[in-house]
Amino acid sequence: MPAADRIELTTPVGASWEAVIRMVLGGIADRLDLGFDQLDDLQLAVERLLAEGDPQNPVTLSFEVSPGGVRTRLGPLRDAALAEALQGPEPPPGELTLPRILSTVVDSYGVEEVADGHLVVRLEKLVRKQ
Amino acid sequence: MSAVDLITASDRDLLRRYHEGGDASAREVLVERHLPLVRSLARRYAGRGEALDDIEQVGAIGLLKAIDRYELSREVALTTYATPNVVGEIKRHFRDKGWAIRVPRALQELNGKMGPTIERLTSKLGRSPSIAEIAAEFETTTEQVLEALEAGSAYAPLSLSAGPTGDDELDPMETIGADDAEFERTDNRASLEPALAALPEREREILRMRFEDGLTQTQIAERVGISQMHVSRLIRRSLERMRTQLG
Repeated sequence: MPAADRIELTTPVGASWEAVIRMVLGGIADRLDLGFDQLDDLQLAVERLLAEGDPQNPVTLSFEVSPGGVRTRLGPLRDAALAEALQGPEPPPGELTLPRILSTVVDSYGVEEVADGHLVVRLEKLVRKQ
Repeated sequence: MSAVDLITASDRDLLRRYHEGGDASAREVLVERHLPLVRSLARRYAGRGEALDDIEQVGAIGLLKAIDRYELSREVALTTYATPNVVGEIKRHFRDKGWAIRVPRALQELNGKMGPTIERLTSKLGRSPSIAEIAAEFETTTEQVLEALEAGSAYAPLSLSAGPTGDDELDPMETIGADDAEFERTDNRASLEPALAALPEREREILRMRFEDGLTQTQIAERVGISQMHVSRLIRRSLERMRTQLG
């Protein structure tokens, strides 16, 4: 399996910086030949997680890009309750939660690391066979 | 007054029913009746880098304001009174939130063509097009396409409605068909459910189609009759609004 290319970006949290992140995601989507809707989904997932970021502290995003897709890690996020929600059982049908949003727009997600009350969320978006 | 009577009533009768009797259905009939005017005025501003359906939505807010502010003592037709309100709302949109700020004209134009082109390619390919395919269609670079898409995101919060214009002013679009539901703040930050009830019905339905029924943006666009990009913007806006409400 070929090694993944890695991009890392540390950025302040805030709407004005999200454009930078969207452009990076756009560039990755272009290289992977993702569909416009897949790019939009990935951007939405990242935006939803950034909303959980601490406005006082920067957040680091790392992207591992391989022919099969992109793995995004995003953190640290501040809310331990969020980790519980993301690691908990599937929400009941009809309930709109962050886990449901993520499970709709990415192929898989998980909480990869929890330390000092902070966590890193992993998102996987696979290249769809066309 | 029956639904049929409402439809056949004059503007003036409907305005009286709304302003004096608080008849919201009379207001809705007025809105429906004058939407063609809004569309006509919105078309004048098409081709300036803004999707036509977005301009129409902004214009519709001007229409709502005109209906709400209309004074029955005036001897002027609603159409006459509404026209400058609709145009003013559209101009304000372009001035305050639109393109004049920093986006080069070429990107404005590219963004304006993006929605229809993505729809056409989606239909042709049977799937959502890649950035490279969109770029090929425009005979431009993928970087230009990404920049144009981002240029659209710069004002994306303004889509179905423009949002409140003041601290104490309701978003006019929310007053049509929206449940008068109270929602509670919650400590459960992962759940957006309580704020869902506060969204207009159309936005709730779009969120349900996407996150409950698992429909793609393209499928939703077909069902609702708007562009895929518009669906995308509505979903973002709705989720952001819900998140803000939950604090």
